[in-house]
Amino acid sequence: MNTGSLALPALEVRNVTKTYPGGTQALRGVSMRVEPGVVHGLVGANGAGKSTLIKIIAGAERPTDGSLLWRGSPVDWKRPADAGAAGVAVVHQQSPVAPGLNVLENVYLGQGSPIVWRPRDRSREFADLCGRIGFSIDPYASVAGLSIGDRQMVSVLRALARGASLILLDEPTASISPAERTGVLGAAQRLAGSGDVAVLFVSHFLDEVMQICTTVSVLRDGTLVDELTEDSMSVERMVAGIVGRRLQAVEESTASRAVGAPVLQVRELATAAMAAPVSLEVRRGEIVGIAGLLGSGRTTLLKAIFGAERRVRGSVLVDDKSIAASPGAAVKGGVAFVPEDRMSQGLIGSWEIWRNIAMADLEHLSRRFGVLDVREQRARAQRACDELGIVAPSIDTAVRDLSGGNAQKVVFAKWIYKTHHVLLLDEPTAGVDVGGKADLLELIRGLAARGTGVVVVLSEFEELLSVADRVLVLRHGRLTGEFRPAEVTVGQLTAAVGGLA
Amino acid sequence: MRLKSIAQSLRPQRAGVVYALVILVMALVVATSVRHQPGYLSVVNISNILGQAAPDAILAVFMTVVLISGNFDLSVASVAALSGALALKTIDAIGTAPAVGIALGVGIAVGLANAVLVQKVGINAFIVTLGSMTAIRGLVLIALNGESVTAQSQSLTTLDNTILKVPVAVALVIGLGLAAAAVVRFRKASSSESPPLDGYFVALVAGALICLIVPIAVPAMLRQSLPVWLMIWIGVAVSVGLRFLVVGRNLYAVGSNAEAARLSGISVSWYKMAPFVMSAVAAAGVGLVYAGRFNSLDPNALTGEELTVIAAAILGGTSLFGGSGFVGKSVLGTVILFTLSNGFNVLNLGSNYQYVVQGAVLIAASAVYMVAAKSPSRKGAAPSPSSTVAVDQAVEQRESVDVHG
Repeated sequence: MNTGSLALPALEVRNVTKTYPGGTQALRGVSMRVEPGVVHGLVGANGAGKSTLIKIIAGAERPTDGSLLWRGSPVDWKRPADAGAAGVAVVHQQSPVAPGLNVLENVYLGQGSPIVWRPRDRSREFADLCGRIGFSIDPYASVAGLSIGDRQMVSVLRALARGASLILLDEPTASISPAERTGVLGAAQRLAGSGDVAVLFVSHFLDEVMQICTTVSVLRDGTLVDELTEDSMSVERMVAGIVGRRLQAVEESTASRAVGAPVLQVRELATAAMAAPVSLEVRRGEIVGIAGLLGSGRTTLLKAIFGAERRVRGSVLVDDKSIAASPGAAVKGGVAFVPEDRMSQGLIGSWEIWRNIAMADLEHLSRRFGVLDVREQRARAQRACDELGIVAPSIDTAVRDLSGGNAQKVVFAKWIYKTHHVLLLDEPTAGVDVGGKADLLELIRGLAARGTGVVVVLSEFEELLSVADRVLVLRHGRLTGEFRPAEVTVGQLTAAVGGLA
Repeated sequence: MRLKSIAQSLRPQRAGVVYALVILVMALVVATSVRHQPGYLSVVNISNILGQAAPDAILAVFMTVVLISGNFDLSVASVAALSGALALKTIDAIGTAPAVGIALGVGIAVGLANAVLVQKVGINAFIVTLGSMTAIRGLVLIALNGESVTAQSQSLTTLDNTILKVPVAVALVIGLGLAAAAVVRFRKASSSESPPLDGYFVALVAGALICLIVPIAVPAMLRQSLPVWLMIWIGVAVSVGLRFLVVGRNLYAVGSNAEAARLSGISVSWYKMAPFVMSAVAAAGVGLVYAGRFNSLDPNALTGEELTVIAAAILGGTSLFGGSGFVGKSVLGTVILFTLSNGFNVLNLGSNYQYVVQGAVLIAASAVYMVAAKSPSRKGAAPSPSSTVAVDQAVEQRESVDVHG
């Protein structure tokens, strides 16, 4: 390793600006030093410029202005391969690994002698690498069978095997189990602890950032607004930096709504994956929260109500009318579903905002003989952008270019401008920045106040308790409890969901 | 603003197929005049090319519909051959209408079989239609016992022989109508109530110009065979349907993101299955036209034609991954392929080279679409961070393998 690495930062970003051809300014003069031996946190709301900064550091994009210094000398990386050769490795959530090969082959893919493959030498080196990050895995296990968390660790090992000295962990814990989370966080700390590797840790989870980072850079609107060190580390300061003067997401639900007649009745509903039939009732104006861990069947339950999951038995009634088990029937009956993964399930990325918003209600946004009424569709989209505060150059912007919060508002707009009685929401605030979350929670409350029955799954329990009138606990496909938000704390709810109460 | 959006739709990745056709025709005009051959752009030659291209162009229209839905249909040429063969074989015994009925019945049956196997059983469309293509070709061989068939009845020949002339006045009225529509559209485009001007506006203008100029300059062009008019009518009807009807919008939705479409209440199976049936029925119709051309059919007729049809759709910029494509451009793609082979004949270059050039043109066209789509000037060039990083890493991985291997 470089002998001067202790004196010099691994990477220095100097006054970097990035302006996209469309005129969007993603970064406005960001300067930052990443030291070896340190887990450096990078936090910011969606659209703050994190992704752009990562792409520039990884060589996937070039700054419009400003420079990068690698171990003290200026570099101009034109391609990701250039950054990779210098020693930068990006480990992304869905890290590409070759699923047909085993762990060992993946870690050493493309390295060493191209002709002779020496598994024994390799497995010795592999054991050393594993030791360095305190992770153990069978080197001969097939990668196809690994969890997302383990795949990420394979990517980390691969980066180390290639001698990377700056490892970017991009949202590594967003979709993995708590046990794996501990493993990833521990690995990040050990990596930096060895002294010659710098870790740049990008995450929305501020508790994790607090736990493992010794330095944290906070981005907001393309500017570095704060830099926290060990002495100044605090969640409040981080949140203040991220949010700026915007409101905090979690406000207590103040006004209680008038709750009307039952609008959604689920009777003895069961799918093949659910342990026991589920019955529940939602009244007009009521928000029913579902608390459950990943794998508790929360998504299956919503999908079964919506008819998108095969029902084994049971029935669903909306306004006392039975709804057949298909999404088409549910949509006709006034049921709306905001799915968990908005980009792959809720939207068509290449389509404009207006065509996405019109997608679920073309029956009413058309004239006779099924002729599309484009004017009406565009008027609805314009109204949605104005009323929901969707930030975009115009309604002709493709939704894949929107930030998480704005894209989610487009998914909401698909449903709420259409006649609807029941709203099923699966993790509506996932991947949405703090300001966007506040908007969405307020929107949900507003919709309920107008008489919609809402069923919402949220794994952020603070949010769940702030928005729901009633919280049902789902464990292993079974409803195991019911709480009033006023009578329960986040801790108690967590315990109940985890089976401790 | 308006001009900018028009310019967008004139860029190579959008309108490339038009430029390719223009360049190709110009090259052939120059080449023939250098060799002192008779005028390439004669009415006879153009009608000839259009007549040859028409059956494949009709297939390309429905192939495009299948591709937009996110599927693939290799069986069209075999279906056409079987329909034509059965019609010729039975027409003398049972009469024209029942024979045509049998032919179209074959189309419906094969289309349904393909659709059910792909959508309900869940087998990959490539495999299903490769299988049905092979099996149906086998049925043709069995039905014809390996020999060609000729009918006594001449009724099928009218399909190919009929010449229709659209009156000059009618063409001019259509042209004026299109021009008026273009003007209205252009004036509306400045308000946000209407979407930006795009390729359809350009097509509208082009259609208006053709309908106004051709009847006056070369009225003889208005005399075309029935298949040519069918190609034009079907092409226009399907384009308009895809653009302006709910079913068209839903088809694109299903092809772009089937899960999002399903969770929006759109009946995905219907939109995945109907294109197979349409494609096979169109293939049966084309089989009748083809059978009528010589009133006789060889058991190996149309072998490999499905690849020409798919090539035409790709030349027209249709995506093999579903969700995008325009039937008008696929028709132009077909015309390009037949102009090429016509050029080889006119210039006496020997048909041996023809396939090399056709293949090269196809790959070159795809390359233009790829490169143009990647160019940094693309509006809103900010794909989702996840996909870029993933792609970049894949590239990086491949490059490092190259270096070491």
